[in-house]
Amino acid sequence: MAEIENAIEVRDVTKSFKVYLDKGAQLKERLLFRKRCRYEERKVLRGISFSVKKGEAIGLIGHNGCGKSTTLKLLTRIMYPDSGTIKMNGRISSLIELGAGFHPDMSGRENIYTNAAIFGLTKKEIDARLDSIVEFSELAEFIDNPVRTYSSGMYMRLAFSVAINVDADILLIDEILAVGDANFQSKCFNKLREIKAQGTTIVIVSHSLGQIEQICDRSIWIHEGLIKAEGTPKEIDLEYLDYMSRKMQDKNKKSDDGGAEDEEAAAQSGKRWGSGEARIKRVRTLSADGSEQNTFRTGEDIKLVLDYNVNKPVHDAVFGFGVFDMNGVQCYGTNTRIDKVSDFDLSKSGTAEILLKDVKLLAGEYMIDVAIERGEGIPVDYYRQAYKIQMLSAYGDAGIARIEHTWNLQR
Amino acid sequence: MSTIKELYAYRQMIFSLVKKDLRGRYKGSVLGFLWTFINPLFQLIVYTIVFSKILHNDIPQFYLYLFVALIPWIFFSSSITVGASSIVAQKDLVKKIYFPRMVIPISYVTSCFVNMLLCFIVIFAVIIVTGTGINFLAVLTLPVIMIVEYIFSLGMAMIASAVTVYFRDLEHILGIVSMAWMYLTPIVYSKDIVPVKYHKLYNLNPMTPIIECYRTVLYEKQVPDLTTLLWAAGLGVFFLVFGAVIFNKLQKHFAEEL
Repeated sequence: MAEIENAIEVRDVTKSFKVYLDKGAQLKERLLFRKRCRYEERKVLRGISFSVKKGEAIGLIGHNGCGKSTTLKLLTRIMYPDSGTIKMNGRISSLIELGAGFHPDMSGRENIYTNAAIFGLTKKEIDARLDSIVEFSELAEFIDNPVRTYSSGMYMRLAFSVAINVDADILLIDEILAVGDANFQSKCFNKLREIKAQGTTIVIVSHSLGQIEQICDRSIWIHEGLIKAEGTPKEIDLEYLDYMSRKMQDKNKKSDDGGAEDEEAAAQSGKRWGSGEARIKRVRTLSADGSEQNTFRTGEDIKLVLDYNVNKPVHDAVFGFGVFDMNGVQCYGTNTRIDKVSDFDLSKSGTAEILLKDVKLLAGEYMIDVAIERGEGIPVDYYRQAYKIQMLSAYGDAGIARIEHTWNLQR
Repeated sequence: MSTIKELYAYRQMIFSLVKKDLRGRYKGSVLGFLWTFINPLFQLIVYTIVFSKILHNDIPQFYLYLFVALIPWIFFSSSITVGASSIVAQKDLVKKIYFPRMVIPISYVTSCFVNMLLCFIVIFAVIIVTGTGINFLAVLTLPVIMIVEYIFSLGMAMIASAVTVYFRDLEHILGIVSMAWMYLTPIVYSKDIVPVKYHKLYNLNPMTPIIECYRTVLYEKQVPDLTTLLWAAGLGVFFLVFGAVIFNKLQKHFAEEL
């Protein structure tokens, strides 16, 4: 055939689940408590159509409960659609639940046979692959020990090695690339690329947009059971991130309204201390366009705004801030003294603005401490964990903050 | 047709499940695999005492008469009673990964079948030791009878295991049903003492012709009646196809129900 065949064709697929409010599985319960068998029907997929060409890699993205994992389960045929059709051409292997059927008392080698058999391999086929599976898992020394003696990392490595060596035509992956240490992960990635180069069709469901961008040719964004957008991962991921940050803000605003933290409570919990001549009244962050928000993309400008009250004039005031990750590791911190900005004469209430340029913090949540001090560091109002911001990034780089770099490779 | 092809592709999985089941069944017990033999032997002793010493009958060598019927019966009844929960027992696999679901009842029934074959070693030992003797021509038909029983058991196990997923009580109901079924099948008695007007009804029970065939070959040392064998085979195939159709219908929602 001249035209490239489709490896996967999904047409108008819908799927709903019965959510039992109180299910009686026994005859007695069914007869006696008919009313208890009430259930709600929850539509998870409302008509999804897409096709994947042979050798193409696509990523399914979307927030929790949008139906992307259900889509994947339908593709693996663990579940069947209520309506619509799914056509798959070729042998399917899934990296959905790794190590299905592993028996803890059996050796690694025996488990390779059992596990591979579940993927539909015959003994001969497994024999032929055994060496490459063991080699890939890096478990040659332990392969005859019972699996229960393995660490969880070793377990996952073995499971992944089996699944990836099935030589499937279609590979379905759900959030598994968090296997093992960084070293093994990169090995998995390389193997995936290799497999893709050999013409295997790949479907990935992941929260890590970075992973999807690295491997996939196309992203499909599923939202509330429908396909919201479809295109190159770069475009779709940005659209998706924008949507997510807007949504998160709405949510945060809502929770802020109800929960303005009581100063007293903050003081008692040890989050706030100082002599009290001036008090920080409110902390907020603005984006470059001046709108108030607390989710930012890596590399954006953030404006940190402090409103303060002055009870008693402070003539040698110093403003400071610090950024901490959720483990309490300080990512950055400075104050006007360190920055050699002349001391402030605080005599009446006002607002201080700090423009943070080009913030390279990577995806995650960060806490901001703010403080007013006097002289050589006497706290007037030190407010720990005054504000929380969220950073989003579609890029897969790791660490706390991005270090700008260029690659200069001699070939 | 495609189902058969797929099952063939997954033969290694069936094989490894059977192996796991046989190895795992008596794991940790002191007598281990010997239980395969001890269990039916004790049943045999009890029934022999009850039905020949307490309730008298004039069947010669009653223990053998009973034994050749009891072992095939145990195969069938364990296939359906324990087989019923086989899919529920493998729910971790079913919920997580794709494979033809029929693999589970097939491997379960097969492992029961292997158990029966092992028990047949004991049957033959008894036949030889007691000097009852063997008709070799008749014994050649034994595999055919076994296959017929296997087919029928598999059909029933498929229905039982699939329905149990939706209706867990079935597992317990089947315990009672299998007991009743045993007494409605000529195992501890001969069909001859059953009033003739019920014979037609008795023959609708596929286990009746199957048990009769076993008995003809091993107890009466004769080649079984061809019509009886064909009738049994016909019923077996019918229930296998029926079971497979039902199983295929029900298996689509396994992952959600488990």
